[in-house]
Amino acid sequence: MKVNPILLQVFRNRFVAIAEEMGVCLGRTAFSPNIKERRDYSCALFDARGDMIAQAAHIPVHLGSMPLSVKAAIAAVPMVAGDMVMLNDPFCGGTHLPDITLVAPVYLEASDQPAFFVANRAHHSDVGGMTPGSMPVSTSIFQEGLIIPPTKLVEQGEIDHKFFDFLLRNVRTPQEREGDFAAQIMANLTGVDRCGQLIAKYGQQQVDLYAAQLNDYAERMMRQTIAAIPDGRYRFEDSLDSDGFSAQEVPLKLCLEINQDQAHLDFSDCADQVTGSVNAVYAITLSAVLYCFRCLIEEDVPTNAGIARPLRITTRPGSVVDARFPAAVAGGNVETSQRIVDLVLGALAKAIPARIPAASQGSMNNTSIGGLDPRSGQPFSYYETLGGGCGAGARLDGASAVHSHMTNTLNTPVEALEYAYPFRVTKYSVRHASGGAGRQCGGDGLIREIELLAEAEVTVLSERRSTAPYGLQGGESGKLGLNQIIRQGQRVLLPGKFTTRLKPGDRLRIETPGGGGWGEKET
Amino acid sequence: MLIIGVDTGGTFTDFIWQDGDKQGEYKLLSTPQNPAAAVLTGLRHIAGNKSYRLVHGSTVATNALLEKDGARTALITNRGFEDLIEIGRQDRPELYQLQVVKHPPLVPAEFRYGLPGRVAQSGEIIEELDETALGPLLDELEGANIESIAVSLLFSFSNPKHELLIGKHLECLGLPVSLSHQTLAEFREYERTSTTLINAYVAPRMERYLAELEAEVAPNRFRIMQSNGGSISAQTARRESVRTILSGPAGGALGAATIGRQSGQHKLISFDMGGTSTDVSLIDGELPLTTESTIAGYPVKVPMIDIHTVGAGGGSIARLDRGGSLQVGPQSAGAEPGPICFGRGRELTVTDANLFLGRLIPDQFLGGAMTLEPAKVGQSMRILAAEMELDPAELAEGILAVANTTMERAIKKISVEKGFDPREFCLFSFGGAGGMHAADLARLLQIPKVMIPTAPGILSACGMLFADVIKDYSQTVMLGQEQLSPARLKSLLQPLERQAEIDLQREGVPQKRIELQPLLDMRYCGQSFELMIPLSAEFIASFHQKHAQVYGYSNPHKPLEVVNLRLRAFGRPPRRAAQQQPACGPVPEQQAQLGTSSAVFSGQACETAIFARNRLATGNQIQGPAILVEYSSTIVLPPDCRAEVDPYGHLLIELQGVES
Repeated sequence: MKVNPILLQVFRNRFVAIAEEMGVCLGRTAFSPNIKERRDYSCALFDARGDMIAQAAHIPVHLGSMPLSVKAAIAAVPMVAGDMVMLNDPFCGGTHLPDITLVAPVYLEASDQPAFFVANRAHHSDVGGMTPGSMPVSTSIFQEGLIIPPTKLVEQGEIDHKFFDFLLRNVRTPQEREGDFAAQIMANLTGVDRCGQLIAKYGQQQVDLYAAQLNDYAERMMRQTIAAIPDGRYRFEDSLDSDGFSAQEVPLKLCLEINQDQAHLDFSDCADQVTGSVNAVYAITLSAVLYCFRCLIEEDVPTNAGIARPLRITTRPGSVVDARFPAAVAGGNVETSQRIVDLVLGALAKAIPARIPAASQGSMNNTSIGGLDPRSGQPFSYYETLGGGCGAGARLDGASAVHSHMTNTLNTPVEALEYAYPFRVTKYSVRHASGGAGRQCGGDGLIREIELLAEAEVTVLSERRSTAPYGLQGGESGKLGLNQIIRQGQRVLLPGKFTTRLKPGDRLRIETPGGGGWGEKET
Repeated sequence: MLIIGVDTGGTFTDFIWQDGDKQGEYKLLSTPQNPAAAVLTGLRHIAGNKSYRLVHGSTVATNALLEKDGARTALITNRGFEDLIEIGRQDRPELYQLQVVKHPPLVPAEFRYGLPGRVAQSGEIIEELDETALGPLLDELEGANIESIAVSLLFSFSNPKHELLIGKHLECLGLPVSLSHQTLAEFREYERTSTTLINAYVAPRMERYLAELEAEVAPNRFRIMQSNGGSISAQTARRESVRTILSGPAGGALGAATIGRQSGQHKLISFDMGGTSTDVSLIDGELPLTTESTIAGYPVKVPMIDIHTVGAGGGSIARLDRGGSLQVGPQSAGAEPGPICFGRGRELTVTDANLFLGRLIPDQFLGGAMTLEPAKVGQSMRILAAEMELDPAELAEGILAVANTTMERAIKKISVEKGFDPREFCLFSFGGAGGMHAADLARLLQIPKVMIPTAPGILSACGMLFADVIKDYSQTVMLGQEQLSPARLKSLLQPLERQAEIDLQREGVPQKRIELQPLLDMRYCGQSFELMIPLSAEFIASFHQKHAQVYGYSNPHKPLEVVNLRLRAFGRPPRRAAQQQPACGPVPEQQAQLGTSSAVFSGQACETAIFARNRLATGNQIQGPAILVEYSSTIVLPPDCRAEVDPYGHLLIELQGVES
């Protein structure tokens, strides 16, 4: 059947509109600030095989990993109409435990096979485990919280309360979780309903055809983009500071091969998986690669399964970019994902130097604080990520104090924070002169200083505290990030990854890394 | 008394006037270099020596912000938080872009000053303001040639003492000063600071503009339109300039609501399609308000009529992208070079597609003042169609279909995503291009009825004539459910009410015409978005109900909190009812029909009657396919549609086969 350029555009609009509407529903109905104010969630639409048709532009780290979740759910649990399957198992479709995915099938009347799937994923600010916030400095997945293999949360429209109660008993802030799960269920119901309307209007055959055509469309765009890159092999190396246990750097290596309109990314030489929690499962590596190549396409293309087709990714099972059970993975999603981006962009910079910017801050500076709020007597759990400097490019300085690459979550307003938690923010500013020098300068990081008003346990998972974000084409690297505790006027330097107990009056001060510079500075 | 409404737009400045029973309209080219020039020329033309009252929607504040042409402004804030406006919410505007481009802060780092002193959320002062730091600061401000100052301190809405102190010290500079607790007494420091800063940034431009107009217009007869759908005195507009941003579209929505109500249509979706963009708004009896607007990338948190804008209009460019999909917009041919049919354009636009399909009549555009060129359009359409292996008419209809999908999505965003079913509404269409798309769009959304007012091209100016005096007040209180006694709320509202009454009297509203409407911003504890609920005896039940409508669920057992108190104060002047015309029977008089043309609908060429809208009379009915032309717009009636002129001259289109 011939593809009609008009209907292609019309369907593209309709599919994305469904994913976006799910996102609006989830963002607005969720309870925790982490999901609502920071918008740490994604929504997408999938075909009957679990290939992604459309994703709303939310969080890039969910790009490649959402389809793997849906495929894992399909493989593990047969779903009938009204069912929803929940999962977070990083070794079965997940990425790290706080990211919980909910998958629902779309059935047409008179069909015994699902026509589509919808899914959404949200970052929950606590799923149990050894530290509040469930982003611990851990050595195995068992310390990171509750592992949920693909399991039915909703059965033919009814919540399985036994499972639900069990789940809520295992997290620190059950009320908040309950509200967030309700929002996730609502978002899927919205998606199921809208898919049904679409099929009712156009018929399954046409909807299927254009779902497939949109994947082909995105594939064509990606192939043309890759074809514009000179053929060849491009190697690049970078490393993670450490795994939080040994002082050793964790080296990452990539060989990128461009062959006409295809790219092969070989990560086989990356280090073995490590003791600490910076291990990334394959889904994360896939997401990071997809993100980089998606950015190369200048037009606004739909993010779907077609984009991945011209890309081949090789990883070595048991390595830090393809970790195996029971590795600790809490930080892989947030930190290693950023380094994989640095690796891919670094290799691309050798092929198309004028297009690729220097390294951005390369960390999300994950900060979790938990304890008892003396004002209410209730436990609290706070999680936030911090922006930093962006890398400079051939024509532009890097942006300052902003989230880069694999995340784009909002900050929590200072006033919202002080209403909600026993904290006082004592400084929130740009970290001036932290960007790398160059013909174009790297962007500056930021400084966030929080005074605790109650005793609390603090966990920070951060990177680029000993290996700096690289500059390119002669530009200097950005400044390293810095984690400090200020106690009675004394500054104590802390490592990139730590857990510690703080007393009232103590201040946690985080200075985030600057971006790399681009080009030699003219003298 | 002669009343004149004036709306300054990008291309035209629109005037509408009313004098007793008489009414008229007037259009002049805008004078962007000095917008007051066109306004004054038009006023002289209409009023001559007569005295008049004026309601004006100005673009001065909007343009100052869009073009970054505001005053040299300084920001005073807490020490350690000087960069807050640069950090914003730390997110980037585009997700998939190798290099992030942020909106630059309106005040560069060198003019941002931090002072020691801190207030806690309870209002308690933790650290006193260091007044000794103010002396050197004043010197610096004087040395820097600052024109306007914004002051925004953390938790100033809980305790404004420090902001007031700073304001007192600044008085000696003789500059306009915006204090954040006065501009917006609400929590979330970035949004409050941004709103306050924008106020300071645009105020001196507003002052200059108003001074120029006041040289000719009596100040006490001169009102300015606000984005909340009400008007304020020119004096107030100088102090609260941020409230005048985007007042033009607000005038349009207000015009739609007022005209709709007059004709018995209380549930409307207003659809204003222009050359480069389309504004849509959902009116469910009342004008929708939002406090989450972003303009040119900067948050503006004062209440505004909730209008959603998309980049699709008559000038939107159609092209085949390299992946083989037809794109329409957001690039626009604008006024220069304009669509191909205007003579100078090179790229096909939505307007060209309408012309190609015979839906736009070449010699009737702008009353025949401009002749369109169908031959050039035909050539370009055939070339692009061949590239896409389509029939040219199929392509032209496709261009309209893609543009309509974009607009359909915009309307779903303001209806379906907020819990409303568009089928229960009437599509109220205006703007130059609205009438050509309204019926097709309504069919896409299964909306059974379309309304097109008289003079759809100047509706915004018309809306301004209807504007009440409205002032908005708010105060963050953060009260848990156990603290929500009626007595407590009443006492907290009192200072707002007192202020409102003083302000409205100052606006010249007599006491008996003042109407106060208290509202609460509410949420379940732990949520971070609020719903605006009118304060009544059942406000808690109303909240649960509204939550269920907007978000699909509610939980009466869950504790809730009141985040902000709000007060809307109205001054409602007495109004004359609009006059109804007697019905003239269903058949239009003979001269109303100008002829016929061949127009394409769903692939079929149809013989289509052309009518002059101004020759139609109340009660006249027209069955589609037909085309109605008037000075500033063209209305397309596809087959399966029937239009009727209502007693006020407005057109009601019924879609046959769409169930109401």
